[in-house]
Amino acid sequence: MTDSSVKAIAKVMDSVGDSAYVVVALIVLMALYAMLTQKNLLKVSIAISVMCSSVNMFLVLLGYRAGGNIPIHFLKGDESALMVLPTPQCLTLTAIVIGLATTALMLSLIVMLRKHYGTLDIDEIRRLRG
Amino acid sequence: MSRHLPAFLIMTPMLGAFLSPLAVMLGRTARNAVLVLFSLATLVISLGIVSATMGGNVLVYVMGGESYTLTMPSGMAYPVRIMFEIDGFNALMILCVAAATFAGALFSVAYMDRFSGWKRYMSLYFMMATGALGMCATGDLFNFFVFVEVSSIASFGLVAFWRDKPEAIEASFKYMLVSQIAAMLLLIALGALYGKYNALNMAAIASMARGGTLDKIVLALFVIVLAFKCGAFPMHTWMPDAYAEAPAGVTCLLVTVSQASFYGLIRICFSIFPGVGGAVVPWILIVLGCASMFFGVMMAVVQHEIKRLMGYHSISQVGYMLMAMGVGLLAAGGAEGVYGFKAMTGGIFHMVNYSVYKALLFLCAGALYYATGTRDLDRMGGLVRSMPWTAGMFVIAAAAISGLPPFNGFISKWMIYESSFAVHPALTAIAMITSVLTLASFAKVFQAAFLGPAKAALSGVREVPCAMLAGMAALTLFILLLTLFPSWFTSRLFDNAAHALLNHQGYVSAVMGGV
Amino acid sequence: MWTQLNSGAGYWNVFVWLLFFAGMSCLVLWLRSFGRHDYMRNTLQDDIYWSGNEVPEDGAKISVPASASYWGFRVAAAPVYAFLDRLHNGSASDYAGYFVVTAALIGALVLAGGR
Repeated sequence: MTDSSVKAIAKVMDSVGDSAYVVVALIVLMALYAMLTQKNLLKVSIAISVMCSSVNMFLVLLGYRAGGNIPIHFLKGDESALMVLPTPQCLTLTAIVIGLATTALMLSLIVMLRKHYGTLDIDEIRRLRG
Repeated sequence: MSRHLPAFLIMTPMLGAFLSPLAVMLGRTARNAVLVLFSLATLVISLGIVSATMGGNVLVYVMGGESYTLTMPSGMAYPVRIMFEIDGFNALMILCVAAATFAGALFSVAYMDRFSGWKRYMSLYFMMATGALGMCATGDLFNFFVFVEVSSIASFGLVAFWRDKPEAIEASFKYMLVSQIAAMLLLIALGALYGKYNALNMAAIASMARGGTLDKIVLALFVIVLAFKCGAFPMHTWMPDAYAEAPAGVTCLLVTVSQASFYGLIRICFSIFPGVGGAVVPWILIVLGCASMFFGVMMAVVQHEIKRLMGYHSISQVGYMLMAMGVGLLAAGGAEGVYGFKAMTGGIFHMVNYSVYKALLFLCAGALYYATGTRDLDRMGGLVRSMPWTAGMFVIAAAAISGLPPFNGFISKWMIYESSFAVHPALTAIAMITSVLTLASFAKVFQAAFLGPAKAALSGVREVPCAMLAGMAALTLFILLLTLFPSWFTSRLFDNAAHALLNHQGYVSAVMGGV
Repeated sequence: MWTQLNSGAGYWNVFVWLLFFAGMSCLVLWLRSFGRHDYMRNTLQDDIYWSGNEVPEDGAKISVPASASYWGFRVAAAPVYAFLDRLHNGSASDYAGYFVVTAALIGALVLAGGR
């Protein structure tokens, strides 16, 4: 990343401040709302994916330091440059992989549910009750 | 060698998981040998860990460091590496998980023999065991999340293993949907903790957490997520579905995964955030426990599908443990520690009992399904003549879970009754009503499945193969040991585990050094 | 002692119970010995009496199904079961809703508490 673009991002993030967390919270709430109100299984699985992504955004945001560069020690140039925190990025990578696995599994379950029940309506898939 | 046990504990089942497809290709003998030997090795390792933690020792194992004992490399303010931290309480949980893994594996050898898909079954089975053992052993919160997900994803796959049955897919999907919301909340809680303390190590956070709004939010998220995972009342609805539809050997292991979540809940309430939230958190546990006990058993009484009935019983048994630990937590915060300590010993005793007799009951239900081809109690009857061994072991397990006096279930329930009475007599009353209803529903199961006139449709039923009986017999033997020598187990293991839970300082200083 | 468990208010020992069961079994066997010895197997004395009707061959026709037991309990506790049946309605989005509502409730309670 070039120096000027880092500075531009830092300027934007400074003006945004903590309201970035509000955006994350809004996306989480939107995903929850969709999960509870949507009746189509595919839309529910989209809501789950959106929720995974918003949590990942939250983690990346936690590690962000205004004006920070990528967290690699061997970069040429200023040794004392500000870095973003590396740990939340590792957590995010792991969380993305887990989210991918669960999304794939969920979609395959939905395919099989469609084959067995002939519908994608969540209210008609309720043979197990009582 | 013995110092490396915590690493071997995870390595053994994981190696088993990746060897499984190869072993299945080599034929039936190799497959059965890998399934039984790797789960037996895990059991032996967990016994070694239990003996190493007796007398209040804490095992710490650092992954990927220059030395496995170096928890705080010089120049670091917090421990940075992933580590396992095992004290008396974890060790007991690990033993329960490993014992159920072994019994389920022995049972699966014959039970799953007539089905295909062994490569997937064995790999997922070992992965699920790895996840549950990791949840019990780890000392790092993000690592805990990863193990939760490993065991959850494996269990989604195994619940839906009989994918030609629509109900199995449905149960797996419902479990998965709520599980994913829970997992995301867990990740948010972890992130918030990292943002505040810059650490993810449990002991490091425990040394710094002193309460405050963020700590309370995080604690609430952990309580809700882990209470969901172990099946507390309003969020229990996935449990009977998943337990009923999974193959019996898997259900046996699902029980221990819920136990591992219960372990996480207790560890977080006692060791990481002791006293945060005041008296509200213990009362939440007590109320959740009472609701789970009562409503779980009410639903169980009217079921007529055997594994679904037992799934509802799991909810009510988890309720006992939640209530006992809530009472213990309430007392740990206040001045009166005597009944609180007894409640915790009783709760831990009940936890061990529950994993043993519940696993046995699910295996008995599996044996009935194997022999008769149905799970509906209406279509069974008179089976005591053709399946005497299964019937005998079922009676022992049913008497133990209903708390009939000579058996181990009574001893732990007695300890819980006595201590919860000191908090409020109503708690004891609910627990006793639950116990009576439990007995009523198991009397119904026994009468419907084993007694009565022989039915023509079941005339060809024979006793199940020896390998299945062996898995059940191992658990029966454990029940009898717990029944005959309760004092030995209590003084060596359960008291040790309760002390380990209350010794917050010891948990911290094992990692952070003398603070 | 490996078998005795003291709780402070009392004690538990399984062998006391086993002794009790042994004693009771002796009593039962003694009472049973008063029974009639002239009972004969495989005669009319052995037959099932089913309200004077012929007993069906298949046991399935004369056994009570499991779902019929505790019918009275279910009727007596009908309001509780009405509530529980509504709760376990099988809809996955309702189950997710219970989780979210409970999470909000517990979060609010913990936040309102001390420390």
